[in-house]
Amino acid sequence: MAADWNELPDEEFRKVFRSWVDENCPPHLRYMRKQRPLFDEVAEWYHALAAKGWLAPTWPQEHGGMGLSPAKHMIYVEEWGRLGCPRIPDHGIGLVGPLLIQYGTQEQKAHYLPRILSGEHVWCQGYSEPNAGSDLASLRTQAVLDGDEFVINGQKIWTTLAHCANWIFVLVRTDKEAKPQRGITVLLADLASPGVRVRPITNLRGEADFCEVFFDNVRVPVKNLVGKVNEGWTVAKSVLGHERIFLGAPTRPEYALGRLERLAEARGAFDDPAFVSRYAKLRLDLYDLGSSFERFAKVLRSGGELGADVSMLKIFTTELYQRITEEMLLVAGEEARFADDLDAGNGQVDAMNLFLDSRAPAIFGGSNEIQKNILAKAVLELPG
Amino acid sequence: MPQAMFDDPDGMLAMLRESAAGFAAQHSGTKSLRDKRASAGDLDKQAWKAMAEAGWTGLLLPEGLGGAGLGMREQAVLSEALGRALIAEPVAMAAVFSGALLANVSVSEERTRLCAGIADSSVIAVPAWQNPSKSSHARPVVATATAGGFALTGEKHFVDAARSATDFLVVADCSEGCLLLSVPAASAGVTINERPGIDGAMIASLTFAGCEVPESLVLARAESADALLESPILHARLALAAELAGIASRALEITIGYTKDRVQFGKPIASFQAIQHRLVDMWSDAEFACAAVVNAVETLDAGDVRAAQLAVLAAKARTGDAAFSICRRALHLHGAMGFTDECDIGLYLKRAINLNATLGQSEALRLQFVDLERAA
Repeated sequence: MAADWNELPDEEFRKVFRSWVDENCPPHLRYMRKQRPLFDEVAEWYHALAAKGWLAPTWPQEHGGMGLSPAKHMIYVEEWGRLGCPRIPDHGIGLVGPLLIQYGTQEQKAHYLPRILSGEHVWCQGYSEPNAGSDLASLRTQAVLDGDEFVINGQKIWTTLAHCANWIFVLVRTDKEAKPQRGITVLLADLASPGVRVRPITNLRGEADFCEVFFDNVRVPVKNLVGKVNEGWTVAKSVLGHERIFLGAPTRPEYALGRLERLAEARGAFDDPAFVSRYAKLRLDLYDLGSSFERFAKVLRSGGELGADVSMLKIFTTELYQRITEEMLLVAGEEARFADDLDAGNGQVDAMNLFLDSRAPAIFGGSNEIQKNILAKAVLELPG
Repeated sequence: MPQAMFDDPDGMLAMLRESAAGFAAQHSGTKSLRDKRASAGDLDKQAWKAMAEAGWTGLLLPEGLGGAGLGMREQAVLSEALGRALIAEPVAMAAVFSGALLANVSVSEERTRLCAGIADSSVIAVPAWQNPSKSSHARPVVATATAGGFALTGEKHFVDAARSATDFLVVADCSEGCLLLSVPAASAGVTINERPGIDGAMIASLTFAGCEVPESLVLARAESADALLESPILHARLALAAELAGIASRALEITIGYTKDRVQFGKPIASFQAIQHRLVDMWSDAEFACAAVVNAVETLDAGDVRAAQLAVLAAKARTGDAAFSICRRALHLHGAMGFTDECDIGLYLKRAINLNATLGQSEALRLQFVDLERAA
């Protein structure tokens, strides 16, 4: 039996985790420019974590995870970010594993969980469709039962890293007559199945993070059903528990502000009172985001559960990230015409790269407008 | 709804909130504000006395000096609650600022008298430390040595509750630096010049014309005014921040209530998305304000002076912006009703404007933050 990490004092755990990660995460993978590297690009780090037993921080130890409490998990994520470790394709660890642990059969757990840890199965998440984005429940990709197989037809889009995955966790419609939320089912599909086609989509940064996934009479055995038929909405919605706090973490604006400072120093912008005034607003917004983040982190540390109100952090941090990168382009002056990085004395600043990157987080994970709709109902209790 | 969330293991803070709510039920803040405005007043003596009886005017003063010996955590909870109820008494200046000024000076009979008096409300001692602006033809107060003490000449601006004060705590320049003097309000040679404050209470400037102050009323000597004022400004700003957070949260609640009640096109206007998103933005701003206050109190408690200064600058800037902008939006969401004097939301806006501009507006505080942080 591995150590019970939750027994360690927070700072002790932080030290143990940090020093091992610092020694074992390959230097050439630190601070990658790519936000979402492909599996093969970071495989050595993935396997190193797996060998150490530290790949799945929140899975129970009996399933090969670390069994971390939310408080310890926060430390794990913080240190990961501070050491500049790359993001690994984590849909298996973060999404499929927890869902199977909660809703899967014994066979499913025994089959899939070890294959996630070994890297044999790389997962992607088939949720959004061309006409089901914010209104996810209106999804139309359908699955019809035919003997002991479901037959899937339809299309998914914005499927992150589908082109390096070999399995997909897919939401399908199994009842067209029921209310939208009542006719959805979760299936596990092998992307090597006949009839699946994956087409990467190049984003504004010139990278292919996400894909379209087409299903043309794709046959999936009934045993790949997760939970019950037509009850997939509940399964799909349960994925994010305490992890919603990470959508609101100050990591991105923090990094971007550091780059802005570097650029501003190199260009003498701190001598310009107009810049300093704008900078001060951004700096204080970041500082105060830290205070608000800490408020929710405290809830987790004391063993409490997060409410819907935590998504205020997601709105704030994504908008702040955008405003900081907009300021970078302002400081760049006419050099904002260039696609490549800016010279900032001792090093380059990827102002344009960050500006473009900052467009995405306000959209994904539930657009900020959707977050506001939820907050209006769930927190302010405003009438429908 | 938004509130500064502190750990409260012994329930002390909850009790303080309850007693503030009980106080507010007996002393209507909005009525008191309107009365003050009608009578050109600057302090509600009845309310102030009751606050002293509750232990609030001397909350931060050590027990040995007649106070309650509590900390900024309790002060923040109290100030937030007073802000919510719009109990617009000069707590931040006449209790917190004055108390912090006196806490740092050496023991004297006068100091003992002032502290005990602040705690039991027999003394209303208000700070008079702000100099006229550089563009003004008025001169700051200078203390010239006399046979038995000092003579004061010059002006001090932005003095709260000057008409109600029994004593002024005057910071004056002198040949060796700077003095803190206790000046009885009725002293010969002191003139009070009042102007109406935006929230209804009068704000004064004081003119000293050869005002004689005996040596026994010199509370402190310092090389510079900063040495005397750093701690009072820090603590008063934090109290103001908490009060502003309370104003912000309450103005939001009032507005949510109004938009739920107000029916147009056959529906409560709170059911419209345009209104809902505005309310969510206001709510988020109020939450950020409360979290900034908590951070400032905890950072102050942790004891690193520079970190505390940064945290307090941030909290005052955040809460000032939040209260002012939430009240502006609140007023708008009340429609034409919001523009009437009868509707309380306008009182919240005016109080927010006043406190936001007290001891530094947000922009100035942010620039101070950046200066301080980048100086390291």
